[in-house]
Amino acid sequence: MIAPVQPNADLIAAVQPLIPALRRYARALLRDRADADDLVQDVLERAMGRWHQRREAAGTRAWLFAILHNLAMDQLRRRARRGAAQPIDAVPESLLAIPPGQETAVHTGDILSLVSRLPDEHRSVLLLIGVEDLSYAEAAAVLDIPLGTVMSRLSRARERLRAMIAEEPHRAPALRIVS
Amino acid sequence: MTDAPVTETELQHYVDGRLPRDRETAVTAWLAARPEEAERIGAYRSERDALRAALAPIAGEPLPAELDLNLRRHRRPHWLSARGMTVAASIMLAFVVGGGSGWMLRDRAAPPIVGTAALAREAAASYAVYAGDAARPVEIAATGQLELDRWFSRRLSRPVKAPDLRAAGFDLIGGRLIATNFGPAGLYLYRDASGASVALYLRPMRVQGTDRMTWREEGAVRGWTWADDGLGFGVFGEMPADRLHSTADMARAQFRRA
Repeated sequence: MIAPVQPNADLIAAVQPLIPALRRYARALLRDRADADDLVQDVLERAMGRWHQRREAAGTRAWLFAILHNLAMDQLRRRARRGAAQPIDAVPESLLAIPPGQETAVHTGDILSLVSRLPDEHRSVLLLIGVEDLSYAEAAAVLDIPLGTVMSRLSRARERLRAMIAEEPHRAPALRIVS
Repeated sequence: MTDAPVTETELQHYVDGRLPRDRETAVTAWLAARPEEAERIGAYRSERDALRAALAPIAGEPLPAELDLNLRRHRRPHWLSARGMTVAASIMLAFVVGGGSGWMLRDRAAPPIVGTAALAREAAASYAVYAGDAARPVEIAATGQLELDRWFSRRLSRPVKAPDLRAAGFDLIGGRLIATNFGPAGLYLYRDASGASVALYLRPMRVQGTDRMTWREEGAVRGWTWADDGLGFGVFGEMPADRLHSTADMARAQFRRA
């Protein structure tokens, strides 16, 4: 067995603050807490192994999100092949493991279940840009697509989500609360 | 640039609040004349905000030990010095105790808490101590706002002004200076008609001069932190995340305009 790689102080200072966001993106994509945390652990192992290969410090966030995104897509493809994925509508919201007790919890389940029905390419731009606050250029780097494609995907994803919300008018008031 | 046609890409930037000021003004005016477009863009913003609010709590969860890089440093036997063990033990204890009492262990727990995470703790602790103080929650009351702003500006070494949060239902009741490990911090307290308080906490940041808005839970006290231009901010209270978020947005917008 290979000895575990030791993170150096630079790596800890740069990576540790980003772990909560990585967990969030992983959980939003995989919709399972344990799977998501396992995936983040995998990302951290790889980041430690390849730390000296990363290009510049400014891009550490995009670099980590790219590693995570690619691993998550692999996992989603494996799930689809196994047929293990349940019909998306049947995935219980509890799998998202959002702590209860918040007034917004009822409403937030709605938006999460709608977003989970979007294709991965749409879901990922909404999450990377809207939730993780990546710049459009960082998102392009993470997804390995041109900037123009990021913008058109973002536009389409937002429109598609709007159409889904419009089809379910009872959900709309819940969404308005947080605007 | 103001006369340039509005593009779909700009509208997406607008949804994300990432347009330069002059184009933001142009797009706002463009939308004002086009109710259907304004409704569409408003819907995109609501989607974005709802998604952020729904996922925000995940980033506020304590990091499990498997994902804590500081613990990995101490994993191999020769790293398991007495200090390493103490550190690991106190971190475990912090996880077990959790919530409001966890922060008291911070000086002994290994990972140094800096940046907006440290600010979150200070802000939540200040809120807990002062917001509930019926006798003297503030040092200078809102009637002396000018004096208060001047005091903060001097101690924080930059112009500071209490934001107007009345649109969120909050009236300024006053403020006080807070001592922290990182120097002086300012605390503005606001209250709404129902008596609910919200604290706006700010201090200069040495490490993390810029940071995006992040959800924080410190026991029952929760809120949002961010940093702009070397100044860190926290908006904390005991109300739902979305109300705290809109209040924080309002404060951030006013500081950015200033």
